[in-house]
Amino acid sequence: MRTIFILTTIIFAWLIGCKKPYSPSVISSNRSMLVVEGNLNAGADSTTLRLTRTFKLDDTARLIAENNAQLTIEGRDNSVRSLSGSGNGYYTSSNLNLIIGKEYRLRIITSGGNEYLSDYVKARITPDIDSVGWDRDITGAHVYVNTGDPSGNTVYYRWNYDETWEIRSYYYSRFVYENGGVRPRLLPAEDVSVCWKNDQSRQIILANSKSLTQDIIYKKPIVTIPSGSEKFQVRYSILLRQYSLDKNAYDFFEIMKKNTEEIGSIFSPQPSEIRGNIHNVNDLSEAVIGYVTVSEEKQKRVFITRPTQWDFSLSCTSIDVPKMADSINYYFGGYQYVPYDEGPTVYLGTEPYCADCTIRGGVTTKPSFW
Amino acid sequence: MLLQPDSITTIKNCDMMRSVRLLLLLILFFTSYSVRAQEPASIKINGEFNNVSATEFFKGLEVLIPSYKFYYDASKLDSFTVKLSITNLSLTEVLEAAFKGTDIQFAVDTLSKNIFITQKVKIYTELPDNFFNEKKKLNVNNNLPDSLLDYEEGYNEKTKVAPGRLIEIGRKTNQTRNNVIITGYVRNVRTGEPLTNVSVFTDSLHSTITDIYGHYSLMVTSGNHTLSVSTIGMKDIRLQLAVYSEGKLDIDMNEEIRVLKEVLVSNRKSYNIRNVQMGVERLSIEKIKSVPTVFGESDVLRVVTSLPGVKTVGEASTGFNVRGGSADQNLILFNEATIYNPSHFFGLFSAFNPEVVEGIELYKSSIPANYGGRLSSVLDIKTREGNKKNITGSAGIGLVTSRVHLEGPLIKNKTSFIMGARTTYANWLLNLLPQEYKNSTASFQDIDFSVSHKIDSSNDLYLNGYFSNDKFSLGSDTTYGYSNRNANIKWKHNFSSKFRGVFIAGYDQYQYNVSSNKNEVNAFKLGFDVKQSTFKSDFTYFLNTKHSLDFGLSSVYYKLHPGYFEPYDSNSAIQRDEVNTEQALESGLYLAHHYSPNNKLSVSSGIRYSIFNFLGPQEVSIYTPGSPVTESSRTGTIAYGKGKFINTYKGPEIRLSLRYILTPTLSVKAAYNSLRQYIHLLSNTAIIAPTDIWKLSDPNIRPQKGEQVSLGFYKNFKSNTIETSVELYYKKIKDYLDYKPGGTLFLNHNIETDVINTKGKGYGVEVLLKKPGGKLNGWISYTYSRILLNAYDSTQGVSINNGKYYPANYDKPHDVTLAGNFRVNHRFSVSLNFNYSTGRPITLPIARFYYAGSERVLYSDRNQYRIPDYFRTDFSMNIDGNHKVHQKTHNSWTIGIYNVLGRQNPYSVYFVSEDGKINGYKLSIFGSAIPFVNFNIRF
Repeated sequence: MRTIFILTTIIFAWLIGCKKPYSPSVISSNRSMLVVEGNLNAGADSTTLRLTRTFKLDDTARLIAENNAQLTIEGRDNSVRSLSGSGNGYYTSSNLNLIIGKEYRLRIITSGGNEYLSDYVKARITPDIDSVGWDRDITGAHVYVNTGDPSGNTVYYRWNYDETWEIRSYYYSRFVYENGGVRPRLLPAEDVSVCWKNDQSRQIILANSKSLTQDIIYKKPIVTIPSGSEKFQVRYSILLRQYSLDKNAYDFFEIMKKNTEEIGSIFSPQPSEIRGNIHNVNDLSEAVIGYVTVSEEKQKRVFITRPTQWDFSLSCTSIDVPKMADSINYYFGGYQYVPYDEGPTVYLGTEPYCADCTIRGGVTTKPSFW
Repeated sequence: MLLQPDSITTIKNCDMMRSVRLLLLLILFFTSYSVRAQEPASIKINGEFNNVSATEFFKGLEVLIPSYKFYYDASKLDSFTVKLSITNLSLTEVLEAAFKGTDIQFAVDTLSKNIFITQKVKIYTELPDNFFNEKKKLNVNNNLPDSLLDYEEGYNEKTKVAPGRLIEIGRKTNQTRNNVIITGYVRNVRTGEPLTNVSVFTDSLHSTITDIYGHYSLMVTSGNHTLSVSTIGMKDIRLQLAVYSEGKLDIDMNEEIRVLKEVLVSNRKSYNIRNVQMGVERLSIEKIKSVPTVFGESDVLRVVTSLPGVKTVGEASTGFNVRGGSADQNLILFNEATIYNPSHFFGLFSAFNPEVVEGIELYKSSIPANYGGRLSSVLDIKTREGNKKNITGSAGIGLVTSRVHLEGPLIKNKTSFIMGARTTYANWLLNLLPQEYKNSTASFQDIDFSVSHKIDSSNDLYLNGYFSNDKFSLGSDTTYGYSNRNANIKWKHNFSSKFRGVFIAGYDQYQYNVSSNKNEVNAFKLGFDVKQSTFKSDFTYFLNTKHSLDFGLSSVYYKLHPGYFEPYDSNSAIQRDEVNTEQALESGLYLAHHYSPNNKLSVSSGIRYSIFNFLGPQEVSIYTPGSPVTESSRTGTIAYGKGKFINTYKGPEIRLSLRYILTPTLSVKAAYNSLRQYIHLLSNTAIIAPTDIWKLSDPNIRPQKGEQVSLGFYKNFKSNTIETSVELYYKKIKDYLDYKPGGTLFLNHNIETDVINTKGKGYGVEVLLKKPGGKLNGWISYTYSRILLNAYDSTQGVSINNGKYYPANYDKPHDVTLAGNFRVNHRFSVSLNFNYSTGRPITLPIARFYYAGSERVLYSDRNQYRIPDYFRTDFSMNIDGNHKVHQKTHNSWTIGIYNVLGRQNPYSVYFVSEDGKINGYKLSIFGSAIPFVNFNIRF
């Protein structure tokens, strides 16, 4: 139903309305609130939580990490486990060994001495991912997930993913411009013709089966690769992680999604207050953003090779640059062009992104799973 | 019984009278022989005449005695009725009996077998015996009773003003020096349609206006009066009355201008000063049509929102807010049928065909006691009655809709129909969309149909039907639609001239549905509907000039399906889910007393007692008393059987208003109202969205209550051509339902756990300067108003903004509206609209944070900031074709520009996380100047 309204908005906007960037006169709260993100992995894998703080709208910072806090996980069975800080707000444990069905809570004591405690949450089983597939229409390729729980106990699902894709340079580069001159590239050490790029999910992906006769999730869209995207230039891989949620956690993520991703349509609900399950033990009115979940993490990695008629293209030109210092300096000195090959009297030059895949943000180290 | 002012006496009668006069001359002066009156005594007549008009009476006699022919001026006899039972009487005896006590004279010419009926002056079909010798005057006057003497004295003087004739009301024999009541209908002589809000008065104390049926009841003292009948757009009529006793007087009025109807805002000069009710807005369709609207589609509701005290959240919402009330607190009646969704295309257009609408009335403050069930306002939309004389119609073409209407008599002068239909061809708009929406379609229609039938002078029957339908499909795999269906039958009966009643039985339905088959496993159909059967009876009893009573009874039986969700087809894994059907009976009993002790003071006091029964079958959840109503505090459910009374809410509602006239052009009014509402619209969007659902009060959902006090000052200038007013109000709302943060409203089996009781307080001042008529006409209004809400109930578990008052979505303190129209000549007028208001409150982000791979925003408390102010100017020109009366069709053009300045008024401001960053956007619905053209043809 929401899609319909978004589409309606698009229609209105397209027909007669208009959507313009807008930045209101600065309104900001001086309060800096604690943000807790992460899942306590109830499976046999590592757990990573991240503590950050909110910051002002006009702040130049993109992230304020909360380091040097003490994080402990307390079970109702009086067990205590701790997470160790690894910098940049991350706190990890290689294996918490939580027991499915038992209840746990998170205690945080910040370096500033504030103490926070989450509600008790039951450790949940997460079903396996059945399959990850994709289909294609005029807008692009849509990657989706199929999953379900034959026992019918999961109902509420959340996903996130890491994606990796291979990119190739248009021209194979055998030369490097360096210190005012051109030298042959040391191959294969300095090969920049093949790279890999990474990204992660940036949206909250949720689904539930509460209105279905069976606990199944069918073709839940995960990510859309827009037509012509470089992600499908050669080969693409997605590592999808699946978590089961209880209803309260699902509601929390849904509100956050509505508030921050699905706002603005004519029929969008208004933003609502986010209420997590973490509280300052000494000041219940203090807002803390975050919801501690305790679930198994299930993963699935799939590869997608370039589909037929995937019209990714780079616009590349090739120029002849005489092997003379002033010509070399003129064309290559400002990195407007880079050399990639040579003729008898000339270097062949092209735009940097056509010869060097690291310019396009890639790394030349092949991922271990590739 | 048709009274026509002298100027428009029907041609047929004029001709007839001319020949009568000619004949008279012949008889009187050129008949060389005299004939004794010979009684046609041999003819004996038997018959029954039960309150028939003179014309019918004579026609009846002509049938009984076919050889005789009556000559008379029908227009002079229209206040005369005959009630006779004749057995074996001669013609003369019959006529004597019929005219006994009146000044009607008759003469029977047995030779030519003609009967001449005259008033006062008797025609002698023979010359007096001594005619040629004594020149004796004819005996002109019967003994006029002294009550007519002063009439005679004033007669010559008054004839200067209106060369009228004396109309006698009632029987002379019954005359008393008491108050008597004159009743009747006022109609448009051309179309036979009843005219509403026409003022009928003899002086300031004896004054009334016609109701929606064109019916009036005027209390006067017996004696002689000049009766004035006036309304803007019609020629004023002044009639000389000699009132003896109770009687009926129907009045036909001529349009002042034949083709171009005058633009009017108020139908009643000085009505604003004299009316006891406060906060009533009336608009005729002519005014509505002169206001420029988007795409040039005359829009009834869009014009309502430009009235003082009425606000909207934004342009894509036909829902409106009256004096701080929410959109579901308006009772929208279309020919007495309750319309749940008055809009097309998600609020861009209102769902009423302007061609059949006669006008609207909006009650903002003094809501009459016969209305109930909603807290804020009553918007009463009436269609015209069909033309009772000729088949006429109109057709129009606009950018988005085309419309047609047809009206005419089914039985001439007795039964007429009017029907209108509109349909859209907005598909061409959708075809402009990008490829992926290529298979989109959008369509809407509305049809209305009314039949009015005059059974006799005291019984009228009306039949109304309304249907509107919206259907969309976007990208061909999801369709959704909504539809209103309404029908009712109304019987109006005059028990006597002092006592009349209206009985209405009706059925209203609204339904909404969505279906999608995009994903075969999740393919679904969902929807909800509201059905109600209503019965209503309203009585009016005029005791005397000082007292009158309204009373009545109404009942609504609701059947509400809050929602269903089911598989689209057998491939779908959707589990059917349906929230239990709700049933309830809402009844109201009311009594209102209108008291005018003197010319200055008028008091209207009413009480309405409303009773709401929530009925089985139903399962009602029980919650731990005193703890928040949440899923965890639910202790169980109780099942109730079919028809079982589950619980009852009841209480009195007070409607009180009074007016005091300080000077003839200055009055002060005050009002107090309390109301109750048992049906709620649950919404978590800022505006009314079609997915919002309706919910009846039940053991866990209390009815909403509201009360309002208001005070107003009204002053007219320049002989009532300029009206000004200042109205102040303060209102309180209790138990209005708001949603809890993140609450689910659709398919929620325990919706009480996701809503929160809210109280509100609103106050404001509305200043209005209005020039209803003239070459330059229109109004300017300024409103300052606030509406603040407070989710206060500690037992709800959560509160909004920590239980502090916060502004509602439609709280726009300052509002300035100008609606102006300038008539350059009879064929050309220009209109200009100007609208400014404070931006509506929104919830803005106050901080950023990083979560789930993206920067995100944290919101402030609800509605703590405002979007930029709203300012819009519209312009239109109305061009009429030539005004030759006898051409087959009349056409007109409307050309204009909506939002002339092209200002991008923000509809909303919002922030989204896109590609890991936060982007702020401002959305405007109509972000540029929108030209429009409309063509209308009348036939």
